[in-house]
Amino acid sequence: MTVLTRNNVVLSGVPDAPAIVFAHGFGCDQSMWRFVAPAFEGTHRVVLFDHVGAGGSDLSAYDPQRYGSLAGYADDVVQILAALDLGPVVFVGHSVSAMIGVLAAVRRPELFDRLVLVGPSPRYVDDVDYRGGFDAAEIDELLATMDDNYLGWSAFIAPVIMGNAGRPELGEELTNSFCRTDPAIARRFARTTFLADNRADLADVTTPALVLQCREDVIAPPEVGRYVHEHLAGSELVLLDAVGHCPNLSAPDQVVEAITAYLARVPSN
Amino acid sequence: MSPRTDDAWDRAPVALLRLDGDGTILDANRVLLDWVGRPAQGLRLSDLLSVGGRIYWETHLAPLLHMQGRVDEVAVELRGPDGRLPVLMSAVVHTGADGGRRVDVALSRATERSRYERELLAARTAADRSADQLRALQATTAALSQGVGTEGVARALVDVAVTHLGAATASVWLAADDGTLVRRASSGARAAEGTGVPDEPWTGAPHPRDDRDDGWAETAETVQVHAGGVVVVALGTPDAPRGTLVLSPRGDPFDVGVLTAVGQQAGLALERAERFDQKASVAHELQHALLTTHLPVDDRFSVTTEYRPGVQALEVGGDWYDAFLVDDDVLAVAVGDVVGRGLHAATAMGQLRSAVRAVAGPGVGPAELLTRLDRFVVQADVGFMATLAYAEIDLTTGVVRYACAGHLPPLRLTAGGAHEFLWDGRSTPLGVGTGRAEASAALDPGDLLVLYTDGLVERRDRSLREGLEALASAGAALLESSVAVLVTGLLERAPADLDDVCVLVATWSPTRP
Repeated sequence: MTVLTRNNVVLSGVPDAPAIVFAHGFGCDQSMWRFVAPAFEGTHRVVLFDHVGAGGSDLSAYDPQRYGSLAGYADDVVQILAALDLGPVVFVGHSVSAMIGVLAAVRRPELFDRLVLVGPSPRYVDDVDYRGGFDAAEIDELLATMDDNYLGWSAFIAPVIMGNAGRPELGEELTNSFCRTDPAIARRFARTTFLADNRADLADVTTPALVLQCREDVIAPPEVGRYVHEHLAGSELVLLDAVGHCPNLSAPDQVVEAITAYLARVPSN
Repeated sequence: MSPRTDDAWDRAPVALLRLDGDGTILDANRVLLDWVGRPAQGLRLSDLLSVGGRIYWETHLAPLLHMQGRVDEVAVELRGPDGRLPVLMSAVVHTGADGGRRVDVALSRATERSRYERELLAARTAADRSADQLRALQATTAALSQGVGTEGVARALVDVAVTHLGAATASVWLAADDGTLVRRASSGARAAEGTGVPDEPWTGAPHPRDDRDDGWAETAETVQVHAGGVVVVALGTPDAPRGTLVLSPRGDPFDVGVLTAVGQQAGLALERAERFDQKASVAHELQHALLTTHLPVDDRFSVTTEYRPGVQALEVGGDWYDAFLVDDDVLAVAVGDVVGRGLHAATAMGQLRSAVRAVAGPGVGPAELLTRLDRFVVQADVGFMATLAYAEIDLTTGVVRYACAGHLPPLRLTAGGAHEFLWDGRSTPLGVGTGRAEASAALDPGDLLVLYTDGLVERRDRSLREGLEALASAGAALLESSVAVLVTGLLERAPADLDDVCVLVATWSPTRP
């Protein structure tokens, strides 16, 4: 089992062009980049992967200890980049993967050219002088909900999809392919994600970064995006006219435009 | 959009909502308003959900709606005036009249289903727990049955504790003769660094258990929980344990029920192992005593022997050797193999060995010796089907008279490097003889005569012929060295198998300076 099989790494785009890596967040897999990644295939080497436990990754590689902290996931990112040897990459991380990218870039800055953080949050739970959006009891409630929703979670392993007249392109091939996740691993990932506190790591980042923030997002509210921007030296903040936590799905055009403009505006590191 | 007025919308037995592309509620029917107890228009659907449901919606359901256009029968909870209301959500995406994205949502009450799910979840948890317990116990049983002797059982116990019982570290303490507990085995990540395993058997007072009412209370004496989650399991009966198993937890707390059963199983395994050790020890001592008689010393010859127990030789085998002077000028050498193992084989071997010495004598010769041994075997009912290679070397002439009762042929190695298996003088094993044969061969000064048991040449992965060839070539190659080196070399090339190996090498050198 190589790192590339373990994390279901998929390559596309221009072989020798600068590389751009897309990392999915909690709750889904690499398919959540399906409306964004293709826009870079004409100009970049495009790398997609699944975190261990999600999508087409090797579930048997899931080690509760290793993935009990985001450092384990950051380690995987470093291993993937080292195995691919594509030179410094543009790393686009959504949600929890934004912070995973931050940790990886702190550990191995030479592997990263620029960071794009979509809906990042260094800490979801409120603290003294910090508003993350949730109190501890609420996160406990989340974990309890995940326990309760046994049947619902199982359904995501093999979602039943009826025909969709409105979007015929989302046809049969997508059955069973979205956001496959092992319920037990998803519960652990939720714990790892929502109990993490990586605020102190922001100061150690030397890689230029773009923060993409939706104007309304209950998971990572605008003030959290601003916090990340203010604590990342040399970062830029772009507010998207989008609602929700997944602008890569709800407003992919804005996301593509913001990333393209940033890459053109901010020179390679 | 103006409020809907058609009856079907408000009379539906389910709550209905229409959302815009952002998830903002454009319209909701009366059922929903009753359930949430407040106006919903302008809110986002996730605002109506419990916190867990909100995160679930944002991280899972909204993305799925974008990608697959619908979700079906997902359990979430609404926040209503009377607390949380479990509902099942189905939602489908379509394009509105204005070309914008719309999401239609139906929520049906799931109080019953929620209860059913909880019961299902509880049943699954219980089933998982039972399966885990069963797996742990099966692994323990398998491991303990593999452990040979007390050391082997202790080793198996700490290993299985780390691999299957959820221990970070494990150590086994067993009562020594004076009653004090001595650590006999330890395992675990931190044990390797020598820091983590408690370096005492933890006989102190345990922490009060907080799960006295869970049905395991009656077994609390077998398993004691100490500070830091360290657990001490009595091995055997709690009032008279053979020792303790000390475990530190890796993550989740230990399963007291499993550990109780492990303690009982390990107690029985240790009891068996101790009996085994005692028997093996007696048999070993007996065999050792029988084989360490003084071999004759003379300028005209030398005799070297080696005995190597098999790999798992806690049980002794029945291999033996002997060398003695029949008269002033005749040296007798013998190597034999008694059927069976253990104490019984050791005693039979001793009796047979004495019988050979008793019936040998001037003028008897190998064939007559075997005939007399047959009578002994039948009369004394000892050593039936035992095999024996016996040779008498005339120390003045070098002539060898020999006979093999069901035994592998002696090997003659010449000083020049040639070899010869002495295949003549063969007959059946002892006790079934119908006529005994003998043959003779001649040794030149400096020649070696090698007698051995089958453990030296027999191996599962090759034929006996190949085994003999290997022995001959190895012997010839080693001829340059001393006899001791030759024997050691032969044994090194012998298969590391379960069988015992016994070798005797005699040299004849009448002209030794």
